[in-house]
Amino acid sequence: MMSPASLQTTAQRRIEAGARLAWIFADRIAPETILHYVLEEEGKLHDLCGPLFDSARALSPCVPAADWYERELTERFDVKLDGLPKHRPLTEVVSAGQLRDVAAPEVSTVLYGPVRSGIVESARWIVETAGEDFIDVYPSMFFKHRGLEDRFVSTPLPLAPFVAEHVSGATASSHAAAFCRAAERAIGIDVPDRARATRAVLVEFERIHQHLDSLAKLAEDGSLSVGSAQVFAAKERVHRLLAEATGNRFSRGVICIGGTRFDVLTKLREVCAKDLDLAEHHARTAVERLIKTQSFMDRLIGTGRLAHELVVRQGGVGPVARGSGVSSDVRTMDGYLYTPLLAEEAIEHNGDAVSRALVRVAELQRSFQLVRNALDANPSGAHAAPIQLRDGAALARVESPQGELLYFVRIAEGNLARVAIRSASYANWPLFVPSLPGNIFTDFSFIEHSFGASQAEVDR
Amino acid sequence: MSWIDYGLRGGILTTKYPKGDDAMPPDYRGEIYIIDSERDVGEVNTGICLSNAITRERRRLHIDHLRCFQCGECARTAPDTFRALPKFELAVLPQNGNATLEALKQRTRAFGRSVHLRHIDVGSDGSEEQELAAIFNPFYDANRLGIFLTATPRHADVLIVSGVVTKAMARPLEYTYDAMPQPKTVIALGTSACSGGIFANSPDVVGEVGKLLPVDVLIPGSPPSPLTILHGIWLALGRALARGASQ
Repeated sequence: MMSPASLQTTAQRRIEAGARLAWIFADRIAPETILHYVLEEEGKLHDLCGPLFDSARALSPCVPAADWYERELTERFDVKLDGLPKHRPLTEVVSAGQLRDVAAPEVSTVLYGPVRSGIVESARWIVETAGEDFIDVYPSMFFKHRGLEDRFVSTPLPLAPFVAEHVSGATASSHAAAFCRAAERAIGIDVPDRARATRAVLVEFERIHQHLDSLAKLAEDGSLSVGSAQVFAAKERVHRLLAEATGNRFSRGVICIGGTRFDVLTKLREVCAKDLDLAEHHARTAVERLIKTQSFMDRLIGTGRLAHELVVRQGGVGPVARGSGVSSDVRTMDGYLYTPLLAEEAIEHNGDAVSRALVRVAELQRSFQLVRNALDANPSGAHAAPIQLRDGAALARVESPQGELLYFVRIAEGNLARVAIRSASYANWPLFVPSLPGNIFTDFSFIEHSFGASQAEVDR
Repeated sequence: MSWIDYGLRGGILTTKYPKGDDAMPPDYRGEIYIIDSERDVGEVNTGICLSNAITRERRRLHIDHLRCFQCGECARTAPDTFRALPKFELAVLPQNGNATLEALKQRTRAFGRSVHLRHIDVGSDGSEEQELAAIFNPFYDANRLGIFLTATPRHADVLIVSGVVTKAMARPLEYTYDAMPQPKTVIALGTSACSGGIFANSPDVVGEVGKLLPVDVLIPGSPPSPLTILHGIWLALGRALARGASQ
């Protein structure tokens, strides 16, 4: 714990010295509100925290990465921050009356969403345009706010991973694994190697199906029907494999605090011996063909470009960051789910939709290899360690398909008292806005799908 | 080799369902089955169910399939009482609704052999969308059944609603429904849309879709598999039987 005044100053000084601001969130331990500033320095997370009295100084005027976190804190947690720039609200529905402050008469404002065409998640973008070009774009989020962080509170510990799986159903294992790691650290238990290997396999499978999903949607945007159908078919093979091995097409209901609910590794090995080769072959050939289809790649070149410095300044994560040459893969760092996991991360440098797609393609191949390595290692032992009821608080992170996923868990009197979630999509969405100007309307879906974000985990 | 050649070389992947049979793998957790509801003498802890789908009424166990999100925790912790079956035909008509199979068939006769779906997400976890999109992949190819997606509610016959209705999405949902021409059919997709699931008593949400719109077909599942969704759409067209219904 630090004194309130030195908290922001210390955080700012360390960020200016090169630390990455990963997260700002609040925790309420009545009667106090505790502010947490999570920084990453040389691959290690540091949680600077201290009580808030009346108000604190906003970091976002100097640290752009703090922007969304601080806006959410003021809008949703009644935290007063001095010097926060005035914005349209991020987390509340913006009405049409709040829009009439556009300077030039030739500029029109379009409310895009929350209901959009196709099978998409609900979100709203307020787009200022002079016809075809994007002039400015404002996000209006939290249409899908389901109160998940509050839903955790007082949920019995053994059932709480199911709540984590509801945060983002498509990346349920990443969320369950991150939540469970945080809870395990909070109560001080170790996870058997066998469970670690199982979790790593499930998270890698999740990366495979979500990267395929993102690539298939890009192909669909490019009207490449057969290409999109083939990549979606490759994705389907992964879901079928998971359904057979784990009982659920998104491997839900497997990960629990202490390990896994039942021994899945034996079944996974059995099913993979039979089906993994075909799934990998289908994914590899379809995706290789996709990136060799020049008419399709032309559509992505230069689209939605993000400069390296911008990504660093905004604290981008995952394939979005790696597409702009920013190293960000949690799997290469100490203390990850399962070690040794990844020797070298996939990096591209152009920062456009092509780079993000190529990062995903490279990661697909590595993920298949990581799955095979973990299955071959087949660590012996128990599939779970017993839960102890002890109080504590801890942070944990997992490399979800969209990037670094952070969970904070505090357990008091044997119950979950606070769970906070910083999803990868949440960290990356602020970058969506600066990626748009210079592009035209029809680029929107290409850029959106090159981010591959999940709205459910942003709105929570 | 062109894309067309590549696609053809993959062979036919498409299921015969719903005209023929298909199956989920044996360990798939589709429907929870109570082995003997009267054998319960009170030792089963109904608290193991996060969404309160399991209740006890006069010493008999009862399971609300619309609340079940298929975690399988009951079957794992009380294997003598509960079993997870790999069933996938899970869609039902609402219990107190006025839609009978015959009425649905009459209503959808107007659509002919081609039905246009409009999807809206009102608070899903993101996986329902991916499973709904999956019914158009080569393994299921819903287009072969005359099922199409449409971008505007003005052209839609069926509204598919995924997720628990959040406060901010209540108005857009009603607006979308009102924009559709008559006759129209509403499908609730996923456990959260059918019953609220784990959010049933949450102060942050309005609740299940049925609180706002007249729902005709409920497709439970978290998320429902593509086969489950195909069955649900077929039911909405009056061409399949609901779960548990007999000829």
